[in-house]
Amino acid sequence: MAAEIDGFFRDDLREKILTSKLLVVGAGGIGCEVLKNLVMCGFKNIEIIDLDTIDVSNLNRQFLFHKEHVGKSKAMVARETALKFNPNVEIKAYHDSIFNTDYGVSFFQRFTMVLNALDNRAARNHVNRMCLNAKIPLIESGTAGYNGQVELIERGVTQCYECTPKAAQKTFPGCTIRNTPSEPVHCIVWAKHLFNQLFGEDNADEDVSPDTADPEAAGDAGKDAMEVDSNEKGNIERVSTKQWAQNCDYMPEKLFNKFFSDDINYLLSMSNLWKTRTPPKPMRYGEHDVISEVEDVSSTTGVMRDQKIWTVGECQKVFAESISNLKEQASKLKEDDHLVWDKDDKDAMDFVAACANIRSMIFSIPQKSRFDIKSMAGNIIPAIATTNAITSGFVVLHAFKVLEKKFEQCQSVYIRSQVNARNQIFVPEKIITPPNPNCYVCAAKPELILKVDTDVITVREFRDDILIKEMNMVNPDVMIDGKGIIVISSEEGETECNEEKLLKEMQIVDGCILKAEDFFQNYELTITIVHKKAEREDAKFEIIADKNILKTAESVEELKKQKTAEAASQSQEPGPSGLNGSSSNGGESSKNVAYESDEDDLVLVEETPASAEKRKHIDEDESPSCKRVKIDESEKPATLNDEDDDLICIDDD
Amino acid sequence: MVEQDYQELTAEEAELYDRQIRLWGLENQKKLRNSKILIAGINGLGAEIAKNIILAGVKSVTFLDSKSVSKLDFASQFFIPRTDENKLRAEASLPRAQALNPMVELTADTGNLHEKDEEFFKKFDVIVIIEGKMSEQIRIDNICRANNIKFFAADMWGLFGFSFSDLQEHEFAEDIIKHKVVSKPNEKVKTEPIKTTSKRSLNFPSLETAIAFDYNSPAFVKRMKKSGPAPLVMKILQTFREQENRDPLPENREEDIKKLLSIRDSLSNSEQVTDIYFEHVFGQISPSAAILGGSVAQEIIKTVSQKDAPHYNYFFFDPQTACGYIEAIGV
Repeated sequence: MAAEIDGFFRDDLREKILTSKLLVVGAGGIGCEVLKNLVMCGFKNIEIIDLDTIDVSNLNRQFLFHKEHVGKSKAMVARETALKFNPNVEIKAYHDSIFNTDYGVSFFQRFTMVLNALDNRAARNHVNRMCLNAKIPLIESGTAGYNGQVELIERGVTQCYECTPKAAQKTFPGCTIRNTPSEPVHCIVWAKHLFNQLFGEDNADEDVSPDTADPEAAGDAGKDAMEVDSNEKGNIERVSTKQWAQNCDYMPEKLFNKFFSDDINYLLSMSNLWKTRTPPKPMRYGEHDVISEVEDVSSTTGVMRDQKIWTVGECQKVFAESISNLKEQASKLKEDDHLVWDKDDKDAMDFVAACANIRSMIFSIPQKSRFDIKSMAGNIIPAIATTNAITSGFVVLHAFKVLEKKFEQCQSVYIRSQVNARNQIFVPEKIITPPNPNCYVCAAKPELILKVDTDVITVREFRDDILIKEMNMVNPDVMIDGKGIIVISSEEGETECNEEKLLKEMQIVDGCILKAEDFFQNYELTITIVHKKAEREDAKFEIIADKNILKTAESVEELKKQKTAEAASQSQEPGPSGLNGSSSNGGESSKNVAYESDEDDLVLVEETPASAEKRKHIDEDESPSCKRVKIDESEKPATLNDEDDDLICIDDD
Repeated sequence: MVEQDYQELTAEEAELYDRQIRLWGLENQKKLRNSKILIAGINGLGAEIAKNIILAGVKSVTFLDSKSVSKLDFASQFFIPRTDENKLRAEASLPRAQALNPMVELTADTGNLHEKDEEFFKKFDVIVIIEGKMSEQIRIDNICRANNIKFFAADMWGLFGFSFSDLQEHEFAEDIIKHKVVSKPNEKVKTEPIKTTSKRSLNFPSLETAIAFDYNSPAFVKRMKKSGPAPLVMKILQTFREQENRDPLPENREEDIKKLLSIRDSLSNSEQVTDIYFEHVFGQISPSAAILGGSVAQEIIKTVSQKDAPHYNYFFFDPQTACGYIEAIGV
């Protein structure tokens, strides 16, 4: 209510605070703090939207929520608590998804400015597009652990959220997950897939059985193995895994022996795989004498049970218990319904922890505690109150400057865990990064090059995995340029017959130009197709926003080698650091680094060289592709630039 | 300082603090749970600091404040209900502060800071003084130094703020990230970050030493040209407080700004601090309070857990540049 007090603010700013209308997207860690700052300053007209409900693990930082609010709508409770702080303001709360078509461009145009307080890239991309379209200033922010950042997105003045390519979501080749895991995370991904196969929604990309189409095993795939045939997709033919499990009444012993003994024996028979790898050791149920185990996880306290590394016997015991509980849970569902894996469901989490560890033992991979497995399986980004408070403070200070139209003072600010070389801990960037003229979102005529294996990708995969998941369209229409052929229609059922066709069967081949359009986002994109063969560990597609990058692939490769050598010789860094190799970036001396949350803690990985790396493989020998699987549906943090030699980027959940 | 007798966390605590334990670990969470904090001066900045450390799960927080709620508090002190104008700030803050985390012991003390003796302060592991007179701050810092209590002083005027730390001889663990090459010579170069932990210690100067520092020394004037005039802005606002026995008030806006400008002209030789710094120096403005309060709370958490290098020894938030930075003054 500062603006209600005479003399508190300079008059012109005061007037703007009292009369502006703001939209806050997200009522989580940043959203709660932003809302508090806004009502205390005296902003009179605020709307807030969030589709989420309150969880206990939110309460250590989302301070507008208390224990009695667990399970309730974040947006609604945030509104209630904030109104107590200042009853003289209007807050409208929506318990809803910002993707809902009710919130079109005209909805966004009602606001003076939009403040993002989101935790996922899909929604950030979407709001970015809506605000660009509506020509409304957007303040974007994020946190991860001790790090945070705030930036202004103003059409034509700054870069947009999608001007810089973000690090791709970490995926693993299907054959690594199914045949040759080598890291704990591979076993965790496999265990989550097993959960879905047994209790969840059937997904062809989440097969857990040995993959006989593995190019590395070619020639000997299961030749002398059991009398099991594989279908043309390489999966061992069986009734659906779920059906089979139901038929044997989810008996732990049968399930255990199937997945950890029979299937492993089958893998062993694919002998080419084990020429250079340690062969797995099949394990049978009860082999490890569960009963005589001295330690028993079920008797230890919650905290210890979470923190310790379980023994074989403990894993087997948890496996059996969780299966029986999950069977019980599933039996209460309606006929066609299924369980959805949730890191906060004890049995679902126990099941994944036990299965991941058993598979790790089989493949001689280090085991992890349930606590650590939860981080990886649930893609948890650590979050604390202080970083959220600081970041949200900068969001509202940026909002003041936007109200005063001082865009030139809205440099991005980075919140660091340790000071930089100039002793700064909250670091404003020196310049405003201008829009990337090659951005496939905010450029006048958005276009990009899509490298894709047109021999294996279907129209449905093109729509769901590329246009929707990667390019963030909501409901795309696609036609082949110049030919007038409609490949994908946003009208339900209109192009259903195309869905299972391969791209090449639709004449979408090398050199083909597509026009993709999303009516809701008011977004039109020209896509030039470049055919590429994907090999065993390779992605099936790659998006290139800047045409020039194709030409400079080799020089990027060179640069990458240099940079990596430099990094290797650096002995100490005050904070996380990373490398840059991107030539597509307009910012000066910027470094692209991304957090990757598939480790037990946040880990920084080098970005861009990876895309150069992928390019290297295009001409290499062709081989059957492996399905790539995603770790999680939840989001990877964004990649951003710091003026200093370190990192940052972020998300808060 | 903090007692070393740690009990295991309960399942309830592990669940509530899950997201932060994943950042700073179980051991540090246990240290936090044993720490007793005093916040003297529960204004908008005090409320922000209190919110963050209560959420983090310290053992106890005491609000020491004899002042009554004023209209200015409603600009950022979100603990105090609007109906509680003229009640005592410490007491009016309790219910909402407690609602943040029922596991933390909260106490309101409506006594006067200057009447509190050494025995009183010895009950705490960390003390934060806000809105304190300089002579009081020095007295308490000296008590803290004699009793190995970690001392912070922090203040905000409008959008501007700073914090001062005297952690005396402070030992802490610091993670060092090295990049190890994991690829074979003929492969693409691949590095892996390797984390090692090392022990370090820092020796902090007393507040008395720090404030005796000459802000007009040519070396420091040169330094401020590079990093910004915030130390001088602090000095000007502190001088106003000492001279007027109060902070600038919005109802005296024009008059108080004039006084500040004249203090500026008497303290500095050049036009180091532009007039714009004094446009927003009233009360505590919420977003800045969140920034400084977040910073001070994180320093308290660092101090208690003895993890990571603390700010040595001043932190400044300069709202004109949106920069938060550290200056070592009087060391």
